[in-house]
Amino acid sequence: MKNITNIISSFFLLSLLFLGCKEDYPVDEDGLLITTRTDCYVSNFELLGSDFQTVRTKNPAIDTIAQTIDVEVFYGTDLKNLYPQFSLVTDAKLDPKITGKVDFSDLTKPKVYTVVSGNRQIRKDYTVKITVQKP
Amino acid sequence: MNLKYKYLAALLIPLLTMVWSCKEEDGLTVVPKNEFQNDCIKRSLGPNVVGLDIEFAYAMAIPKSLGKIVSAEVVASVAGAEATYLENKSYYTNGSGQDIGITIGNKSVNADGKTSVTFTTDTTAATLRYFYRIPASAKGKEISFVFSATASNGTTVSYNMGPYKVATMDMVLDLPVKDSSAAYISIEDMAVYGPAQAATNASKIDLVYLYRSIPNVVFGHGLVAPSSTTYLPNITLPAGVNRSAKVNKVWALRDLHLARLQYGIYIDDLDFQTLDINTAPDYAINLKAESGVWVETADGKYRAYIYINSVNNTGKSATISIKRYTL
Repeated sequence: MKNITNIISSFFLLSLLFLGCKEDYPVDEDGLLITTRTDCYVSNFELLGSDFQTVRTKNPAIDTIAQTIDVEVFYGTDLKNLYPQFSLVTDAKLDPKITGKVDFSDLTKPKVYTVVSGNRQIRKDYTVKITVQKP
Repeated sequence: MNLKYKYLAALLIPLLTMVWSCKEEDGLTVVPKNEFQNDCIKRSLGPNVVGLDIEFAYAMAIPKSLGKIVSAEVVASVAGAEATYLENKSYYTNGSGQDIGITIGNKSVNADGKTSVTFTTDTTAATLRYFYRIPASAKGKEISFVFSATASNGTTVSYNMGPYKVATMDMVLDLPVKDSSAAYISIEDMAVYGPAQAATNASKIDLVYLYRSIPNVVFGHGLVAPSSTTYLPNITLPAGVNRSAKVNKVWALRDLHLARLQYGIYIDDLDFQTLDINTAPDYAINLKAESGVWVETADGKYRAYIYINSVNNTGKSATISIKRYTL
């Protein structure tokens, strides 16, 4: 009887030890997994109008060295109601988050978005420069 | 001995249970009622807008031994417009999927909200379609219907349908617009005016239609408020035409009433009530066929959806349809 009690106690202690050693994956304040990746750049950019159709006249010019995104939009684009869409490198995230329409109408003050790397250690500011097609 | 009986009982009870549970119930056998019966379905979908039909199919049947159907009628709580009618044909669908009508009586007669058909053929079963043309007097109200049929033996059956809410929005279809002639759109009047008429209705002009082909830019077909002179190139507005409006471009909102295409989308009063286009500009250019714009007039009195049915670049023209809601 004493032996059985000893075995059960040992098994219980071992289980606790096993549970205590379970690896904990780190997550950031948004509940996103923090990885070891250090890549930090924008891979693609889209700009949609209020009708959810693109307002770009051509592909955006993304300069990952100068950290700029140059976009030309159609003549007559309503710059106050645009939906920007960023494609980022794996595990990276954007700050501030895009939650709806963005007002890009003040062309003298281009919007700046920060890309944060997968390990959350590297931050790079990308400036979105918009030019409107002219007749 | 006792044990033997117990053993038998234990064997028989599960067997009986099994037999009972295996009793066939196909659920298909219907015991016909030996009486005059009726049924009704609503066939039309979407919001009920003044000028459109609400369509029903009313079925009635009586066993031959009890007699034949002599009349059918519908009473609407609000009298329908003149075009309201109850079919005097009973339809069935043939093997090719076509609806074949068989005349069963005289054409329907409308009187004080009652539409009736008197049967002239010896009929024991019929399905009649009822088309209620929504009158202007029903706008914003609820309408109910009582369908009834009378048999030769004096019995009557009836079926209540509704109530159905009639939308308060207005609708106008297929207005032709043309650059520099029929180009001035009034949401209040739900009409398109030429320059001369626009001058006399200047306070009601909310949008100007134009088509431009400008080198290096995409302009195309536009709906622009008179206040937005930047987007009205080479246009001299008629005297007094200077109102503003909020205009919000929309793509792929092909309302079934306006577009009459295969898309089952309907704009209803609620869409206008919850619409928020406060930050919208006063113009929309590069509009294509099957696109549209939400509009709010400068005085905040009306909200509208203008659908582009078709465009013609060479003719510098388009066809538009409008749904309008009064705030």
